[in-house]
Amino acid sequence: MKNILNKADEPTRRQFMQNAARAYLGVHLFPMLGPSIASAAAEGAAKGAKAKHVIYLFMAGGMSHLDTFDPKPKKKEVMGPTETITGTAGVEISGFLPKTAQVTDKMCIINSVNSTQGAHEQGSYIMHTSYAPRGTVKHPALGSWVLKLGGRIHKDLPGFVAINTSPDLTSGGFFGAKYSAAPIGRPNQGLQDSKRSGAVSQEDFSRRLSLADRLNGQFHERFPNTDVKAYEELYKEAIALMNSKDLKAFNIGEEDRETRELYGSGNFAQGCLLARRLVEHDIRFVEVQLGGWDTHYDNFTAVEGRCKEFDQAYSALLIDLEKRGKLKDTLVVVATEFGRTPEIKTEHGDGRDHHPSAFSCVLAGGGIKGGMKYGKTDSTGGKVKKDKVSIPDFNATIAHALGLPHDLVLMSPSKRPFRISGPEAASAKPVTSIFG
Amino acid sequence: MKTVFITIALLATEFPVLGQARDEQKLGDDPAYLTKAAFQIDTHIASFYKRKKLPVPAVTNDATFMRRAFLVSIGRIPTAEEALAFLEIEDESKRSDLVSYLMNAKGYTSHMTNWAFDLLRLRDGRPGSQANNEPYRNWIRKAIDDNMPWDEFVTSLLNSSGSGWDPKTASVGYYTIDRGMPLDNLANTLRVFLGSRMECAQCHDDPFGETERMDFYHLAAFTNGQYEQNKKYMTKLWRETREGRKERGLEYRVAQLFWDKIYGMSLSGGGKGRIKLPSDYQYRDGSPGELIGAKTPFGKSVRMSDRKDDVDGRAELAEWVVTKTGEQFPGTIANRMWERIMGKGIYEPVDEYIESSETVYPALMSYLARLMHDLGYDLRAFQQVLLLTKTFQFATNPNPSTLVGGDDFHGRKIERLSAEQIWDSLITLSRGDPDKNQNRTADNRIYVGNKPVLVGKMDMVQLSKEVLALESESEVRNYFKTFMATMKNGGADLKGGESMSMGMMSVKKYGRDAPVRASELPSPAPREHFLYLFGASDREVVEGASLEPNVGQVLSMMNGYVQRQLVSNYGAHIYKSLEGASSESEKIRRLYVAILNRPPSNKEMGWMKEEVAAQGEEGYRNIVAALVMSSEFLFLQ
Repeated sequence: MKNILNKADEPTRRQFMQNAARAYLGVHLFPMLGPSIASAAAEGAAKGAKAKHVIYLFMAGGMSHLDTFDPKPKKKEVMGPTETITGTAGVEISGFLPKTAQVTDKMCIINSVNSTQGAHEQGSYIMHTSYAPRGTVKHPALGSWVLKLGGRIHKDLPGFVAINTSPDLTSGGFFGAKYSAAPIGRPNQGLQDSKRSGAVSQEDFSRRLSLADRLNGQFHERFPNTDVKAYEELYKEAIALMNSKDLKAFNIGEEDRETRELYGSGNFAQGCLLARRLVEHDIRFVEVQLGGWDTHYDNFTAVEGRCKEFDQAYSALLIDLEKRGKLKDTLVVVATEFGRTPEIKTEHGDGRDHHPSAFSCVLAGGGIKGGMKYGKTDSTGGKVKKDKVSIPDFNATIAHALGLPHDLVLMSPSKRPFRISGPEAASAKPVTSIFG
Repeated sequence: MKTVFITIALLATEFPVLGQARDEQKLGDDPAYLTKAAFQIDTHIASFYKRKKLPVPAVTNDATFMRRAFLVSIGRIPTAEEALAFLEIEDESKRSDLVSYLMNAKGYTSHMTNWAFDLLRLRDGRPGSQANNEPYRNWIRKAIDDNMPWDEFVTSLLNSSGSGWDPKTASVGYYTIDRGMPLDNLANTLRVFLGSRMECAQCHDDPFGETERMDFYHLAAFTNGQYEQNKKYMTKLWRETREGRKERGLEYRVAQLFWDKIYGMSLSGGGKGRIKLPSDYQYRDGSPGELIGAKTPFGKSVRMSDRKDDVDGRAELAEWVVTKTGEQFPGTIANRMWERIMGKGIYEPVDEYIESSETVYPALMSYLARLMHDLGYDLRAFQQVLLLTKTFQFATNPNPSTLVGGDDFHGRKIERLSAEQIWDSLITLSRGDPDKNQNRTADNRIYVGNKPVLVGKMDMVQLSKEVLALESESEVRNYFKTFMATMKNGGADLKGGESMSMGMMSVKKYGRDAPVRASELPSPAPREHFLYLFGASDREVVEGASLEPNVGQVLSMMNGYVQRQLVSNYGAHIYKSLEGASSESEKIRRLYVAILNRPPSNKEMGWMKEEVAAQGEEGYRNIVAALVMSSEFLFLQ
């Protein structure tokens, strides 16, 4: 039903949007074709933007804001056994995050994030793309937008790397496979298979590629198809990557013991360490996922466990980036799908359910002022009381940090208009007051 | 359209299906009926072309047909032997013979199992608990292998209760896999089986005005009240043992076994039929905490009382889904099967149901729903009908569908193979027919910590049956004590008896890297696995698989798994198939037939001969590498 309505509505809406954009908003409509709009975007860049890279830490499942970044110490019935501690610069966070408390002076905690989507697929999708999922179009992920708008920095290494994430959330969408993340399963194994096998000589390797190339040329001629074409481009990309002298960026084995110990040994910790190496090697956008936050059942034990994984790795990442002078141009984002209910569900072993109407995300580095909280929730953490930040606002803020135009319209191949900050240009506003 | 209905109706009265015992003559077993149904579908498609004044696409050649049929029905490419047999036979009926062969092949179960696991989000383990979903996994697999009719399958899931270990009741996994989130579970039920998207209505009215939060809670009332069977009798014992767990002794591990793997995997409470509105209920038609009775939002109305707790809400819901939603239940599964076989759904997304009259092909869609019903929800027979159509045999069309929400029927759409299809095909090349391997089997052994105990004397099926039957705290304590003693003496006091005969010594399991069908491997595939890299679902969300290309896949084809397991593996099946070949061209031809399932063109033969002339034996490896890396291998045509 919905599809048919959408379809019927589409041309009129499209026309309206184009005209509206041209006439009133003064934004340009770039055609999808052409090399990159990076240079055009750079002209329109916000002045003084400091971030070049993004490390995007995604807490999959829906991180409880109350038991992490928005504790309510006065409300025992909301907090259960979770305690509150005061971090550097006087910022209060959950007692499950003692090491993070030592770096709150570098962080801006946004307590007033609000999402319209309360189910996992929809929640993580809108966070990653600024759009609600639709059956008719695949939206590009934030990392792909950043590549599209800002361009990649290193010419051979991928511009967008996703560690331990789901391919659907790190997809190039209608921008195509070139803008999809290069996936990494286990950070300690780096980018799998990026070296030619010892069993194959350089000559045979080249011969194989040349044969495959001829076969593919034939196939593409018979079946000109974008998905088929995507693989051809990826082969070129893969070869450039294999030949890059900077492949070592993917090898956390090169880190000294002290650094490795600073981060800890878990998969997420190693992902954070790898992310730092990657931004040092001029990779634009790295996403690392930490799952297991869907704490419907026994919330407190589960959150404590997740926080242990998170706490050391995250604090280490900020400390390490700062020590290397990279925190100033790397925006470190902590994002999630939604928060969790203030109500503790005793019938589910003290669980908390999904709660999209108020939750917390965190920004650090890349020009962000530290030692602050932005926005407020009410006394139970149930509703946003002050300075509501929608998902489009939040993503517009990330674009702003990078100096990318959050309201720039790009057209999909089906000629529909899209923005990094979602469908409503007028309503997405970057939070600028948190930048120093 | 009318005549079609009459024909079908007549056939249906001749062979009554629903409401009658299923073991009578089934329509799905009658080849003439299936052929006729295929013809009906083609007639609909033909009238569509006529109406639109479009030329009917050509029928594809034998080689393409064969590869397509193998991949969509059994999930892998043919072995070289199978391919040659089909290509060399000259028989009028060879296409329909192939379809029968495939639908009765063991690989059918494997391929369908992947589909069901994606749909039902089947994960083997449950993080943070000893409980697992293995018996449920086996239940699904067996149901597919037995070709359990879809209505019966869905009823068995939705109206399940009992022990998680008993093979008869292990479908309780449908609910226990989502323990703690019954509302999400219900939203998925509606989405998966009826194509109704209600997950947003968990929190708020649908802005498009179709579903209100109240509707959702009325539905949730049916399944409200899911408990672990008799667990309360162990609560105290568990707490005591857990508090004294510092040394993590044997007693703690046994208590954990009972708590997580017996009680934790059981399901009781048949569905109360009423539920309290949530504390943040925001609309005028109800107030937070108010009890409301179960009520269905569409179809034939079913209601339950808000005045008392009932015991059969799940049964009521199951019956409503399967028999009281009109065309929606058969239509949804018919369209899902159409998508599986034809590549695109008649409408898409397949989990957003559209009434047949609102689709682009009302007559066809309504015929398919009817056919699904008349075949008694026999999914195998239904897919066989689709495979027998001319429509399935249409030549490849590289362009995406011109229709936004579904198939435009302008020929077969080109699409990358699923991760499982690629994996299973590579295994076929490196190991030969993977369906000759033994399937994994249920592991019903009793594990205390990581060690199986009382093997051959007692298994989880028996143990859980006994434990769940205990009816007081003291009975549980006594049983626990006795069981501890039995364990310590190695089961000397057990007779063995019925559980002995279960062949528990021959548990077959496959590790993550085993070169067997994807359906036999741990679920979900680990993140660094080939399957995951190529987009296999993490099985956290419904149908979460992806066909997105990425650079990692290409690296893996060039330097990774494919290289190690196939190209450089001198013992690979594909190289064995070269033995006895008399000439270079014969070897090249065999490689082509094995990998791309077609002979090389003259031009290609020229290229490949040059390769062998230049590189000798290594040249054959280069050919294998190039063929597997080619788009023709990765894409279904």
